[in-house]
Amino acid sequence: MQINVAEKLLTLKGRGRKVLGCFPLYPPMELFYALDLVPVVLWGLKDAIKSTPECDKHLQPYTCSVARHLTEFVLTEGSGMLDGIFMYNACDTLRNLPEIITTATEKNGRSLPLFNIHIPMVLPEQTDASAYFKNEINQLINDLENRFGKKFSKEKFKEAVTKVQNIRKLMADAEKQVALGAIHFSDFSESVHACWFSPLEDQAGILETLINTGKNSKSQKTSLKTGVILSGILPPPASVIAAIELSGLTVVGNDIASLGRTYASMPKVSEDPDSYFLDFYYQHYPCPTLLYTGDRRTTSLFNLLDASGAKAVIFIGEKFCEYEYFEFPYLSKQLNDRGIKTLEIEIAIDDDAHTSAHRSRIEAFAEMLKSTE
Amino acid sequence: MSEKTHSGKHLTKVVGEAYMDLHARAAQGAFVVWIAINVPAELFYGFDNVVYGVPESHAALNAAKGAGVTQCEKAERLGYSMDLCSYARIDIGSVSDKGMDSPTFGLPKPDLLVSDTNNCSLLVKWFEVHHREMGVPHFIIDVPFCYEPQKEKDRQYIIRQFKDLIKTIERLSGQTFDEKKAMQAVANTSEGINHWKRFLTFAEHRPSGITAFDSFVQMAPFLVARGTPQFVEHYRMLADETEQRVADGIFPVPDEKYRLFWDNIAPWHQLRDMSGRLAALGTNIVGATYTSCIGTVEGSFELFAFDGGDPLEYCARTQNCYMCPHGMKLRGKSMKEAVQKLNIDGIVFASNRSCKPYSITQMDQQKLMTGQFGVPSVMIEVDHADARKYSRESTFTRLEALIEAIEAGRRAV
Repeated sequence: MQINVAEKLLTLKGRGRKVLGCFPLYPPMELFYALDLVPVVLWGLKDAIKSTPECDKHLQPYTCSVARHLTEFVLTEGSGMLDGIFMYNACDTLRNLPEIITTATEKNGRSLPLFNIHIPMVLPEQTDASAYFKNEINQLINDLENRFGKKFSKEKFKEAVTKVQNIRKLMADAEKQVALGAIHFSDFSESVHACWFSPLEDQAGILETLINTGKNSKSQKTSLKTGVILSGILPPPASVIAAIELSGLTVVGNDIASLGRTYASMPKVSEDPDSYFLDFYYQHYPCPTLLYTGDRRTTSLFNLLDASGAKAVIFIGEKFCEYEYFEFPYLSKQLNDRGIKTLEIEIAIDDDAHTSAHRSRIEAFAEMLKSTE
Repeated sequence: MSEKTHSGKHLTKVVGEAYMDLHARAAQGAFVVWIAINVPAELFYGFDNVVYGVPESHAALNAAKGAGVTQCEKAERLGYSMDLCSYARIDIGSVSDKGMDSPTFGLPKPDLLVSDTNNCSLLVKWFEVHHREMGVPHFIIDVPFCYEPQKEKDRQYIIRQFKDLIKTIERLSGQTFDEKKAMQAVANTSEGINHWKRFLTFAEHRPSGITAFDSFVQMAPFLVARGTPQFVEHYRMLADETEQRVADGIFPVPDEKYRLFWDNIAPWHQLRDMSGRLAALGTNIVGATYTSCIGTVEGSFELFAFDGGDPLEYCARTQNCYMCPHGMKLRGKSMKEAVQKLNIDGIVFASNRSCKPYSITQMDQQKLMTGQFGVPSVMIEVDHADARKYSRESTFTRLEALIEAIEAGRRAV
């Protein structure tokens, strides 16, 4: 199953929906849904973008694939399908993209409004930034109300929060089916990905279908396989996932920014957006891009290992995503000291077609794990 | 110029003494802070016995003295990717064997790490490596990126963090902060920067009284000694001496035919070679965004002086002045003004894989400067501190092509 992102957006536009393109991974979705917007996280566009000629006019080749695919998509296929873009200080590369993109679209005679907030990256025990953050959220609400002519309602917000929580729970349930060996990790990640480009009301159906496929599957044989955790910014390409599964490994948990880290946090249901999002961001599952979560990162990974029974961690390095690369040596050492084996593979922008080296390393890694069992 | 002049010799003295003082006072029990380059070091002068080291500056010094690659390789052997910032790799490599191969014997072990997201939030991840490995507390200063001039709400947020940083140092060091001393340090910095700006104005002269390479080297006191009387003294000497040299008709590139402007961090490992080879072509890089932004606010290279008011307010207001913490439109505005003021013939965009925040908008900036304002330009590949990622010949092929384009433009007029 490959998602046709452009077609999905066209369908949304055909249904009269206002679409907000989100550059960072953890946008305040519930707020956008409450204002009848459809937020789409513009990540994982590898399948939608075969080459990046338009982006290459703006970004150097040492920019990560996330930024390059996102830029290419917004300037080409996605052009005209977005009603605005949303940004927060997610990373040093992404923070420069809104101006590059809006300048390019303005040259083509189109205006693409930017909604921008700053997520405080201070350590909460050092600086109380809650008032600053709440002001950011309230300002965002005002800006959205003014632009889209919708009035914020606490009831609708609470309703959106409840629905999003249900989606997150379904994603976690689907992940359990992967751990049982009932569904492939690639099907799981593609379904989560499909949710990003679907209105809230369609997402539960996508996930329930997947979960039911797993429940009806007869291939639950995890007990025969070695469990591993995948960690990184994005899931690896389908060919690498296939290599992992074919070499007798099962993905029993994930610490992937675009997957597990997005649904692992369950803030308390609230009708008050500023308190809710304060909780959401500050209690968020650790991610290197949320700078204040650094001290919790190792513990979270250990907890995930304990809960899943995984024997190893495979780090999926997205080429040029330095946030992850600064952490790999330390995390590997911590894990190795605990007897957990690690493998680090690096995925570059065009690696879908060149994964034989990864396959060899994964097979060797799997052999090594089996020999030590 | 810097090695032959009084101010060149004085620079060596100021930098040498700063590192020696740092090591000596640390050994005697001073509270040691490692800071990101743009953390307001003036605040530390509000304490009796707090000293600071700047890993970025130390890394640049390693690169300039030829130790950059050696230090990078140490970090790579520890598992750090070659794609990471070369400053970070040099620093991590240097720390890994307690400063071996460093021209300053490394930096003394810190009691506190203070990172700052303004130039790059990746620096937080870099300092986190030390925080985890050394078990040293880490304070994060978070500066909102700005697409427009800094907003009051953001300034107040930054000030609050400065206050919390002061409290943190008081708590950890047992020392008490004296705002008057910090204010004096801010005043010293402001006065020194005033002379720095005076020094840079000699680039307006034809031929230029300075090269950007001089300004790169002469930045060092800004990194290791700002806030001090020596800082003021040094930049006064530098500006006065340069003024005299211009009056005496002494110029670094006397037969200057082409005046260029540099965009990005200095290529520390190539300063001597690049300046010499360009001079032989009658070419002088007379200015740089990297050095022009010091002492300003975002969107302008004009001096933003301290008015004697709240020192924290001043420090907060200047937090976005460097090129990375503000957006493309503001960068374009200040660059355009500098290009006009300095009568620039061409711009060198140094695309630097070790500094993506500086480099990411350069392709659009180049289109703006060349397409809209008619200034020829070229993009070259440089890593600011890892000489392995630099090709001398391909760089000069491009620079020579730029010079030819400038010449062709002149002939066409």
